[in-house]
Amino acid sequence: MNSSDSTAAGRPHEREGTMNRFVLRLGLVAAACVIAAFVPGLLPNLFYVHIANLTLISGIFALSLWIIYSVGQLSLSHAAFAGIGAYASALLTLRLGIPPIFSLVIAGLLTATVAALLGSVILRLRGVYFVLVTFLVGQMFTLVALNWQDVTNGANGLISISPITVLGLNFGPRPMFFYFAFGMFMATLLFTWALTRSTFGRAFNSIEQNIDLAEICGIDTARYQVVAFTIGSGIAGVGGALIAHYIRYISPDTFTFHNSVAYITMLVVGGRSLFWGAVVGAAFLTPLPEFLRDFEGLQRIIYGAIMILVLRILPGGLISIPDKLARLGGRK
Amino acid sequence: MDIVTLLTQAGVNGLVIGTMYALMAIGFTLVFGIMRVVNFAHGEFYMAGSFIAFLTYAQWQLPFAATIVIAILLVGFVGALIEWVLIRPLRADELTGMIATLGISVVLQNSALMFFGASPRPMPEVISGLVRIGPAVFSWSRIFVIVSAVLVIGVFWLFMQKSRTGRAMRAVAQDREAALIQGIDVERIFPLAFGISVALAAVAGALMAPVFSVSPFVGITPMLKAFIVVILGGLGSIPGAVLGGLLLGMIESFGATMLGAMIADMLQLALVIAILLIRPSGLLGRKEA
Repeated sequence: MNSSDSTAAGRPHEREGTMNRFVLRLGLVAAACVIAAFVPGLLPNLFYVHIANLTLISGIFALSLWIIYSVGQLSLSHAAFAGIGAYASALLTLRLGIPPIFSLVIAGLLTATVAALLGSVILRLRGVYFVLVTFLVGQMFTLVALNWQDVTNGANGLISISPITVLGLNFGPRPMFFYFAFGMFMATLLFTWALTRSTFGRAFNSIEQNIDLAEICGIDTARYQVVAFTIGSGIAGVGGALIAHYIRYISPDTFTFHNSVAYITMLVVGGRSLFWGAVVGAAFLTPLPEFLRDFEGLQRIIYGAIMILVLRILPGGLISIPDKLARLGGRK
Repeated sequence: MDIVTLLTQAGVNGLVIGTMYALMAIGFTLVFGIMRVVNFAHGEFYMAGSFIAFLTYAQWQLPFAATIVIAILLVGFVGALIEWVLIRPLRADELTGMIATLGISVVLQNSALMFFGASPRPMPEVISGLVRIGPAVFSWSRIFVIVSAVLVIGVFWLFMQKSRTGRAMRAVAQDREAALIQGIDVERIFPLAFGISVALAAVAGALMAPVFSVSPFVGITPMLKAFIVVILGGLGSIPGAVLGGLLLGMIESFGATMLGAMIADMLQLALVIAILLIRPSGLLGRKEA
């Protein structure tokens, strides 16, 4: 936050503007927290609470994928990292009896370590090659999860994973889990926000806009890309662990290529330029298929069709609608 | 079974899947070389070819040659149309074009799921019977796949080398602007290249339909293999795709015979990472500018 103050310090008027916007956004965040406190009570039944929970978790995935996207890389292994976190956390509680609240953290760190190791190898690759390799990593995860019977229990998956409990509070029931998921989601959101305002975020942004120019300016692009990949994938690992302790059942099918594509769809539909887009995309797309349960193939077709439509008609995503409307109004 | 038989049979199986991978990878690499678009829907056109073979050959009982022609024309036309309508406006940016093909893939695969259901359908063989060469026994159907694939690749190679359009395509792949200056209508080359690319995938799908069964999900594995092949051979290199395809087919077949399928799959992925570390542009690829 300091850096933004110092850059605008010479122009007090502008500084006031940024300060006001900052306070406004902080107010929005506070308002969201207050509203969230009443959400589980207001929703008509548990099914809606369930959807709200899934939406929050999707939000975590979409935000963390956005962090990777913000250095100009598209990861198709996001679901695989979620899966690594989920299996790690589930196994830590099932085999070693570690409380979920700790296993969650360990799973996140472990996933981040795997991502850092992998990233330092594959982030030398640019654009297309990187995407192809992340796709292969996703397939490799599925392969290992299916075949490493002793540990992952193969296609049957892991069952009766214990719910999250903190100081005697049981976050297993859906309305209770909502508060936990909301906390995690807000933490991710605020972290991402702080990241974009930090020197890291500025470096990320410059890499996304023009990687060669950023390199010339003395930014160690490879290092920043590994950092973004590590952070993003690590958060995905925590998100996956959340799923494990919420649904209390995981299998290789929970974390497939299709999930990775779904997170990308959220980014595209919400808007890729700002991290708010990821949140909007997750909020718009997660509830959608839940209301189309009766039509097995149709929900995915609609996902794909919406993605193509948005790319064609609204390349900036849903968050660009206000701007577009304003411009239309201005022209008239 | 003695070791010679085992190895020759692994060799023939390697050739079958190798030529199939080559067919897939040629089309995939062609589109990338010319349009700079990674086509994530490539496997779905393989799937389309499989279903066309199932409908025309197994259900309507047309001759198999007609099946292949229908697959090439129909899928090629639809592919060109998809390029024209959906990919053209989005290909300026590599990532956006790629995301668009992800969307196309999702729509195609799940449309097939809605129309045909998820259960795999077996398909009768085109030629039955066995042939005995020395100690080894091969089925004619395998040899039929190899010969047909080699024929198709040969025709494609002649087209690229000798025909005016083929040369224009290679010119665009080498340098789009220079090709433009030579009077090549680049905007017409793109849908054509995309159509040819996905038609090759459809041929692979139709040829392999009797070997594997037919379902909405059959395209996923061949596409995965095409990715591995183009990384091995170099993205954009057609000879690299042929060589990489055959190499991968052999590695897979011999690996599965001697070490088991699971380890063979792992080995492939390890090989890819190793190639990327040592020679990121692939075995026959050019270094990216």
